[in-house]
Amino acid sequence: MDSIINPIIFYAACALGAVGVCLALPRGKRSVQIFGAIIASMAGGLVLLGLGLKSPNQLPNVYFYIFSLISLGGALRVVTHPRPVYAALYFILTIISSSGLFLILSSEFMAFALVIVYAGAILITYLFVIMLATQAPTDEGVEFLAEYDTASREPVVASICGFVMLAALSTLLFSGAPSIKPTGSASSDSSLLVFMPKKVENSLRDHGLMKPDEVLAKADSGDGYAIWPAGENSWVKVKDASGTVRTIPGSEWPADLKVKNVEALGFTLLRDHPGSIEIAGVILLMAMLGAVVLSRKQVQIDEDAKMRHAERLANPDGTTPEPNTAGGTR
Amino acid sequence: MNLLGTYLAQTGWPVPMAAPTLSHYLFVSAAMFVIGLIGFLTRRNLIIMFLCTELMFQAAGIALVAFSRYHLNHTGSTFVIFVLTVAAAEAAMALALVVLLFRRRESLDADEFSDMKG
Repeated sequence: MDSIINPIIFYAACALGAVGVCLALPRGKRSVQIFGAIIASMAGGLVLLGLGLKSPNQLPNVYFYIFSLISLGGALRVVTHPRPVYAALYFILTIISSSGLFLILSSEFMAFALVIVYAGAILITYLFVIMLATQAPTDEGVEFLAEYDTASREPVVASICGFVMLAALSTLLFSGAPSIKPTGSASSDSSLLVFMPKKVENSLRDHGLMKPDEVLAKADSGDGYAIWPAGENSWVKVKDASGTVRTIPGSEWPADLKVKNVEALGFTLLRDHPGSIEIAGVILLMAMLGAVVLSRKQVQIDEDAKMRHAERLANPDGTTPEPNTAGGTR
Repeated sequence: MNLLGTYLAQTGWPVPMAAPTLSHYLFVSAAMFVIGLIGFLTRRNLIIMFLCTELMFQAAGIALVAFSRYHLNHTGSTFVIFVLTVAAAEAAMALALVVLLFRRRESLDADEFSDMKG
């Protein structure tokens, strides 16, 4: 832990964060939320300062700090904002900045999936439910905040417990992984290229390394193609119309002939874990069926009530027309 | 502005722009998890409580993707896809339940339902 951050600074920042979060939580009439937010951000700044003091000459990636600060601040605001709609919007902010973190981690597919699935689908569902399940304002112009939104339950105990847990977790994490540097670029692993002959062929053709009458040669054994992706020693064999075989060494390969993150992820997903995709599909189907079953009965009652209301509107004098549907007589 | 962006992207400011270590990501993940946990314990609105569980899912996702990047193994990223699946399923079910509970009591207060204990 000493090599990453001074322990005294770190534990002081944890204590400061506990005080800040505790003050920032909503608590009835007299609110000191703004001071709590200031103290909590001071704690974040203290951690940054402690991290920077240990490595004065190389500030880690500045985008990492920007995205992580935005996402942690958004998370704090999700927890502390008294209005549920704003909390959901701050959660979208958190999601988008964490997808920025995923981009720094060169995991593009996860970043986009996060924005599409979380911010696009799940959070919209949340917003709909918040708007469905909120009481209408009592008077016009009077802002209505429910008591259970403005007063939190046991803020002191919860923040102390939470930040003790954060200190313990981080001590373990920092001692276990002192300074694992990224081992090379994640996208430079090109061994999957042997499964993608079309991609290799198109890339070679685009860069003029293969003539129009040439095709990839078949491998000597098996039914694959003669591609050997192994970093510096890579080669690929091509064959022209007369059957003459020619080898293109890896040093001549175009620089962008690499396995992208999406392709590698797809291979991992479909080759190594094919069964789990089926399970995920079943889980989603079951959740959909469950949601439909849970909300079906209630919706029908609402429809009946709506029908009765419409009939009452159509016949304000009380004369009932002859009931033509089963719903009208109930 | 665009020029500045290109300059930052190419040269990296401040120089040199060292890659963050795994510990940085794990700390962000732990802090986000703890904030979600505190929210889950303190807030009394059912919807906000479920939002806080999503926050904890998100923190776990950051840790998994960071591990998968630093170990050059895509299984961690793959697992996050299933975390997303479970989060979506959980949101669908939980929100249906929340709507039902709200119709019954006209309130989202978690303490309202304390008489449901067995």
